[in-house]
Amino acid sequence: MDSLLEHLERFSEVLAVSRTTHVRTWDPATVRRALQWAGYLRHIHRRFGRHTHIRKALERRLQNQWKQEGESAPALAPGLANFQALGHCDQLLSLRLLANPALGDAAFHCLLQQLFPGPGVPDAEEEELQGSLARFARCRTAAHMLRFHAYKENPVLQKDSLMRTQAELLLRRLQEVGEAEAERPGRLLSRLWERLPQDNFLKVMAAALLLPPASPRLQEEELGVGSPRTPGDGGQELIRWLLGKSDVVLAFCRNLPAEVLTSVAERHPELSPVYLGLLTNWSRQLRYDLPKGLWIGTEPQDVPWEELLSRFQSLCQAPPPLKDEVLTALKSYKAQDGDFEVPGLSIWTDLLLALDSRV
Amino acid sequence: MAEDSAGLPSDYQFWMQKLSVWTQASTLETQRDICLHLPQFQEFLRQMYETLKEMDSNTIIERFPTICQLLAKSCWSPFILAYDESPKILIWCLCCLIKKDPQNSRESKLNSWTRRLLSHIVSTFRFDIKEVDLFNQVLGYAPTDYYPGLLKNMVLSLVSELRENHLNGFNSQRRMSPERVRSLSRICVPLVTLPDFEPLVEALLTYHGHEPQEVLWPEFFDAVNEAFLLKKISLPKSAILCLWLRHLPSLENTMLHLFEKLISSERNSLRRIECFMKDSLLPEAAACHPAIFRVVDEIFRSALLETDGAAEVLACIQVFTRCFVEALEKENKQLKFALKTYFPYASPSLVMVLLQHPKDIPQRLWHQSLKHISEMLKEIVEDHGSYGGPFESWFLFVHFGGWADMAEQLLMSEAEAEPPEALLWLLAFSCSPGAGHQQRVQTMVEVKTVLGRLSKLFRSPALSARDLQAAAGENRGGDPRPPACQQLVRRLLLHFLLWAPGGHAIAREVITLMAQTDAIMKEIIGFLDCTLYRWDHLCVEAHRSRKLARELLTELREQASPQQVNQ
Repeated sequence: MDSLLEHLERFSEVLAVSRTTHVRTWDPATVRRALQWAGYLRHIHRRFGRHTHIRKALERRLQNQWKQEGESAPALAPGLANFQALGHCDQLLSLRLLANPALGDAAFHCLLQQLFPGPGVPDAEEEELQGSLARFARCRTAAHMLRFHAYKENPVLQKDSLMRTQAELLLRRLQEVGEAEAERPGRLLSRLWERLPQDNFLKVMAAALLLPPASPRLQEEELGVGSPRTPGDGGQELIRWLLGKSDVVLAFCRNLPAEVLTSVAERHPELSPVYLGLLTNWSRQLRYDLPKGLWIGTEPQDVPWEELLSRFQSLCQAPPPLKDEVLTALKSYKAQDGDFEVPGLSIWTDLLLALDSRV
Repeated sequence: MAEDSAGLPSDYQFWMQKLSVWTQASTLETQRDICLHLPQFQEFLRQMYETLKEMDSNTIIERFPTICQLLAKSCWSPFILAYDESPKILIWCLCCLIKKDPQNSRESKLNSWTRRLLSHIVSTFRFDIKEVDLFNQVLGYAPTDYYPGLLKNMVLSLVSELRENHLNGFNSQRRMSPERVRSLSRICVPLVTLPDFEPLVEALLTYHGHEPQEVLWPEFFDAVNEAFLLKKISLPKSAILCLWLRHLPSLENTMLHLFEKLISSERNSLRRIECFMKDSLLPEAAACHPAIFRVVDEIFRSALLETDGAAEVLACIQVFTRCFVEALEKENKQLKFALKTYFPYASPSLVMVLLQHPKDIPQRLWHQSLKHISEMLKEIVEDHGSYGGPFESWFLFVHFGGWADMAEQLLMSEAEAEPPEALLWLLAFSCSPGAGHQQRVQTMVEVKTVLGRLSKLFRSPALSARDLQAAAGENRGGDPRPPACQQLVRRLLLHFLLWAPGGHAIAREVITLMAQTDAIMKEIIGFLDCTLYRWDHLCVEAHRSRKLARELLTELREQASPQQVNQ
């Protein structure tokens, strides 16, 4: 077992180096050795995939590495992401070496001989790697062709294939890093928020929160047998982080469409008071313009009346308890303002009137 | 490969021109052209590789100065990079250009250029999906971690969109537009052999839009059928059925492929034909849908006419029909389609009787069934009934070859003094359907005479080959027997050898005397194979006869082609 773990560490180092200019020092023998190690680990994955004990030990060792890597490292050279990645670690190494211009000509030549021996190869292992690399190239081309020629954005966010894939990966990753250390999911999310285009990330978060809860068996196959946390923890981490970050939740509630937010609030009741609170604040910013007969904002960033109305309307179309929660709040605000029935005095009155008429 | 490389220079020019056109613009026309040429282009790449691998990179550049352009342009097209083994072969070609130790700056430059292109094909990719890749980079996943999952999600999403079309009917908002469906079928052409695409291919095949004309690209159907015939894709039977129903050329190609396979193999036994036949899914498909049966039948009919009733084609028809009937019984407990839709021009009662499996009839009643068949056929043929001419009736009858064989066997094994006229008529008709009434009567008389002589010899314990030859011989001073009749007599003789107690001892001698030409030898081998096959299906016991038949078959096959071993 110890030798196996050591092997894993050594290989992770190799993998990290494979992307850097350090490979300049590699000679053909080094390349061969590195590929052999990768092949060995892939064999381990195949043999011990169902063996909980060994699998957990390997995963723990991988997680330790991330601890040591710290904040910046994963963006530079992600190592093996999880136990599953061992299943194609030889592919990963090969792709990195192929793309690294620092690798010497002799070493590169050796690499090609190992990876692409040509037709009619007697060795089953070599043939498998050659085939899998070719298949991976086809797979990527296929994804591109579908994206370019046949893709149409699905109006339902969590059903859109690109969104859904990113959402699934996000949740999976949150679960994986969460197993290593409790604060890691939060730190990962903060990092994503800083580095990624915000509107895409907001949509991915929403999609992740709206994904159907995975069945435990599916989780088993995807993530690993015997994870200590229960399935769906990724979603929990996400919502917890979201609600703890005022700037993020503000952008979340402001920029995403009304129907999406309603669905999220339905699924995750923790969000609804926060959302409602924001809507309340935004509503209170509007003033009634008597000549025009409209509620308008004073600052440029104020949320316009139509939008507020459509958001409230969407919430009121949700099933109870959400719907009731919202209506109760609106009615109580109306009462606080004086319970007017006449339009133009209290925004709450006007909202309720408008909602009634639209129903 | 010497001959091929002679043609290589002109091929090379041809493909360079093609690639230039293809890389200039990506219109529907160029895409269609690329799809049409994908298999040939791949073949060309293979030949190039075979040539290149013998040379070092300097020689390559000398021989093919524009090779870099060729390879770069090939890598430009996603259709080429998606197709079958093309990416792999391109990689092999590029590997030939790499030098282990470049001597000068030119060689170094070539190396770097080649490495970049290699890297482009396999790893860093112009065809990335930016938003997903950046996301995963920050997340800590490598492309090998997420691309398969992404592809799977995209495929599933498209499949459910296609399926939704069924349910939503005329709800135009959710429907996939016909252009999009067509575009999808176009993309699938190079990718049908990618396993991840199987659900999408199936969904497209079973997709029924609301447009009157076919929405899918014909090249798509061709590509799917090719992949299916070469076993590079596995699809459920329902999808294949849709394929053949929607695209007639696919069905025809499958038949041609089957014929080619059967003709090209030297040793054809009925069992082997049955294997191929079932493998092709044709009998099952024919059982599921009469339209398919009719097309297949039509092709068989043409083949039979063109080859003048060749025994191989007859064998195919008979095996096909047997498998078809088996499938029919399995599929339709209560017949989904009336028999008339499969055999529209035949008498329904005749078809019913022919379809019966002899296994389901007690042996003592076989005579009756045969008599019945004979009478019905006679009525149609001789009284010019309303069911088409003699050829049509004969064609129907030979589908169910087992009946004629059974008639021969009964006549011979029972060795009656007075063979029933009905059976004689049946055999005479079967061996020459086009014969006129007079000729048929004459044949019947001939056969009756031979049977009479053979039946006398049947019980005799000590026989000689000469006796048998004399018994089967032609009448002196009469017209020579027509070849079809002679063939029938030969078969009766063979039946005799298998069934008569004294026949076993002289079997080999008699056969040697009979087999005066290769064609006759082939005929005898075919007869033995067919008889054993039939006995297996009927579960006929007859240990001694079986043993003899099997031994004879093995020996004769050895004689005919000594190297090959009986399968």
